[in-house]
Parts: sequence; C-alpha cells; structure tokens
Amino acid sequence: MVASLTKRFGDLDIAEEAAAEAFATAVERWPADGVPPNPGAWLTTTASRKAIDRIRRENKRGDKHKEAQLLHDDPPEPLGAIGDERLRLIFTCCHPALAMETRVALTLRMVAGLTVPEIARAFVVQETAMEKRITRAKAKIKAARIPYRVPSAEDLPARVVGVLTVLFLVFNEGYLATGPDTDPVRHDLTAEAIRLTRLIRALMPDDGEVAGLLALMLMTEARSTARVSGSGELITLAEQDRGTWDAALVAEGHRLVRERLAARVAPGRYQILAAISAVHTSARDVRDTDWSQVVALYDQLVHLDPSPIIALNRAIAVAELDGPEVALAAIDDLEDRLAGYHAYHAARADLLRRLGRSQQSRAAYDNAIELAGNTAETAYLTRRRDQLG
Amino acid sequence: MQYLVSVIDDTAGLATPDEMAAIDAFNDRLEAEGHWVFAGGLAAPSSATVIDNRRGEAIFTDGPFVESKEYLAGLWVIEAADLDVALKLAAEGSKACNRKVEVRPFQ
Repeated sequence: MVASLTKRFGDLDIAEEAAAEAFATAVERWPADGVPPNPGAWLTTTASRKAIDRIRRENKRGDKHKEAQLLHDDPPEPLGAIGDERLRLIFTCCHPALAMETRVALTLRMVAGLTVPEIARAFVVQETAMEKRITRAKAKIKAARIPYRVPSAEDLPARVVGVLTVLFLVFNEGYLATGPDTDPVRHDLTAEAIRLTRLIRALMPDDGEVAGLLALMLMTEARSTARVSGSGELITLAEQDRGTWDAALVAEGHRLVRERLAARVAPGRYQILAAISAVHTSARDVRDTDWSQVVALYDQLVHLDPSPIIALNRAIAVAELDGPEVALAAIDDLEDRLAGYHAYHAARADLLRRLGRSQQSRAAYDNAIELAGNTAETAYLTRRRDQLG
Repeated sequence: MQYLVSVIDDTAGLATPDEMAAIDAFNDRLEAEGHWVFAGGLAAPSSATVIDNRRGEAIFTDGPFVESKEYLAGLWVIEAADLDVALKLAAEGSKACNRKVEVRPFQ
C-alpha cells in the first residue's frame, strides 16, 4: 500500500505517514463498526484522503491545479499491479546515487517494513543515527528527483546488480541476525528477501545472477529449522539433521542451478555460490559431500572475487580434502585482512583443535566469541571452546 | 529541473586539446537534445578573490574560498527530467573532460 501511495503522491514520507494513520484508524473503528467488505480498498482510500489533507496543509503556494489532480480518484489497481509497485519501490530504494548502507536501511524500512529500532539494532548503530540516515535518504530522493520507476530495459542489467546485493544483505541479516537480544534467525526477513527476489526474477526471467541468488536463498532457507537447537545454539552444517531440511526448497534450488548450468553462460558469483550450496544439499550425510567439487567451485569463485572471505571459505573446504595443516597455512595468510572477522577466528580455532593445539585453539575461540554478533553463534563457539578442556 | 555539474580537478593543468574536443562534442550534444543551460571553464583558483560583506565593511581576500588539493575547475548547468537523466549526462561529461564531477540539484 505504501508503494501505491508513493506512486500517487510521489513522496515516501507522506505515503508512510498516511498509511500508518489509516491503519491506526482501522484499529480504532473496525472493532466497533465492523470490518468493511473490501478492507484493502478502504485502507487505500482512507490513506489517500489523509495524504491529500497533509499536502493541503503543507501547500503554501496554494497550487490549485496540482490539488485538483490529486483529488481525481484513480480506479482501484488490479492485483498484478501491486508487484509492479513494489518493484518501483525496490529500484528507488536501491538507487546507485545512495550509499550501499543507505540502500539497505531504506529497503528494510520502506519495502520490508522493519521499524527503525529493528534496523538500528541490525547495523549496531544508534537509533537516532539510523533515523537520520533514512530521513536524509528520503530528502535526497526528493531534492535530487530520484525517479520512482523500474529502470528501462537497457538500464536494468546494471541496476539489478545493486538490488541483488541489497537483497542478499537483507537475507543474511535474517539468516544470521545481529544483536545480543535478537532472535538468531528471522524468518520474516528471509521470507521477504525471497519474495522480493522472486519478483525480480519475474521481471528478468533470463538473468543468471537473479536465478543464482534465488537458488542460493532457497537452499539456505531450506536448512533454517536445522540450524538452531532448542537451547538457542547454532548447529553447523556438519552437525545438522538433514532430515529436517525442507525438501521442496532444496529441490527448487537444484532445479534453478541445473537451469543455469544448461544455459552454458559463464556463471557470476551468486550462481557459483548456489552451485556450492547444491553440492552440500545433495549429500544425504555430511560424509557424502563431494568436497573436491566444492573446492573446484571455490577456485572459480576466487577468480571472480578476490575477497579474503571467499579465500577463507575455500580454505575450510580444502581442510576436508587436504587436511587441517594445509588449510591452516592458507588461512594464516589472511590474518591482516580478517583479524576483525569472527568467522576467521572460528575457522582457525576449529583447525587448531583438529591438530591438537588446544591452547592456541582456545585463544582463537576467545577472539571469535568476542567478535561474534549472533546469539546462536556465540553459544556454539562458547561450547566448543569449553569442550577443549 | 536544473542540475549543477561541477568539475573537480586536482591537477595543475587546463584541458588538453583532446579533452577540449571531447568537451565541445559533448556540449553540442547537450544543446541538440535540449539539456544545455550554461557551461564554462574556470581560470585557476589563484585568480579568485573572496569578499565578505556581512558586517559593515567589505573584506577582500586573495585566493579561493577554500585552500584544498581539489578545486572547482568548471561547470555545466543542465536541464534534466530526473536524476537518472542528469547522472547519465554528467557521466559523459566526466569522461569528456576527463575529471570527476559533482551533480547537485538546484532548489
């Protein structure tokens, strides 16, 4: 609804406020008056009226012509158009003129509907700072006239890259939520990220990276119930009960990966990550994992993306093929770049443990625990460290 | 809607002949497509004078308003329907004059 209001009034702030007021009115009146026959239409009409009222109040120049335009009642939008509205909103929130952290915050607020406190917690910043970031972003959209539309066909390939990055960040925040008091897995976010990626896929059904990202999300989401124990501790891939994985999501993920392989187009990073995930989710038991395939895929990925995190993940796979000693040597090279990353220390800790170097392993676990931001991960790392004896 | 496209320079030199040719071609395009409002290259920052006439007597200072490595070398004022159009044009402008540019909307 916020999306369609934004389209009509061209102002995110007004749309948001009007929507909130309409909901508040509904909560007040519907228990007494009864729910109207078409609640969606009632909400939209009420919100539109409130938006018009606000525009009137703010309209110092008394632009009568514009006012008359706004009062013209558009016919109710068919259901298919709601998807189009959401797409417009996503591409606007993910505009390249906005900083990446701003795009993510704006998307979480305007598209996923998170509250400012929730977003602030996820980014580990003060609420006031997050509020400012979002307010400034909306102000820039208005002042610089960032257009509210889906990019043209020729611009779409370049623009979609930015959107996929944001959606992946939203998904990751849901899958491994940050914050000492946050639920470690947030299904509302992962579900939203998947919904939005499906929308992008409907817009660009032949795009390999969109398919790759969707596949990656589906296969990751498939494992979500197996990921956190009853006591709130993270369960690693090796220890998960694979019987609890969602077979339908895994199957859809595999289908998408096969589709991309058949396309015979050089894969981008999401397609490779999806292929790696497919190798893992194809194994009935962790011991059946085709690790040489995993390493081969990471070799491809390293060519595309020289990020130290990819190198770290590759080394973890190498440990399964060539042993922990070789992997540790590869990881030590990454020290200066990954010293602040908890997963680096966690990986080192695990390899040192396997090599029987308990004291060094304990120190590495301590580092990891200090840097970890997710409650389930912290619990898992603490247990592993304490098991060292 | 109008946008200011400021050319940011950090070298001592003015535009090379090649750059001038590319800028001229770009300006012709802006005019032909109805985006042109105004443009010009600026003389060196050392040729500037700052005037503060806020309190009674006007004070003159020799040099640019801020001493920095990066300075304003020139500008375009363009007419564009929205930021997407402005950014595309400014990107071409940056390539033509071979320098960074800043795009800012007029109020």
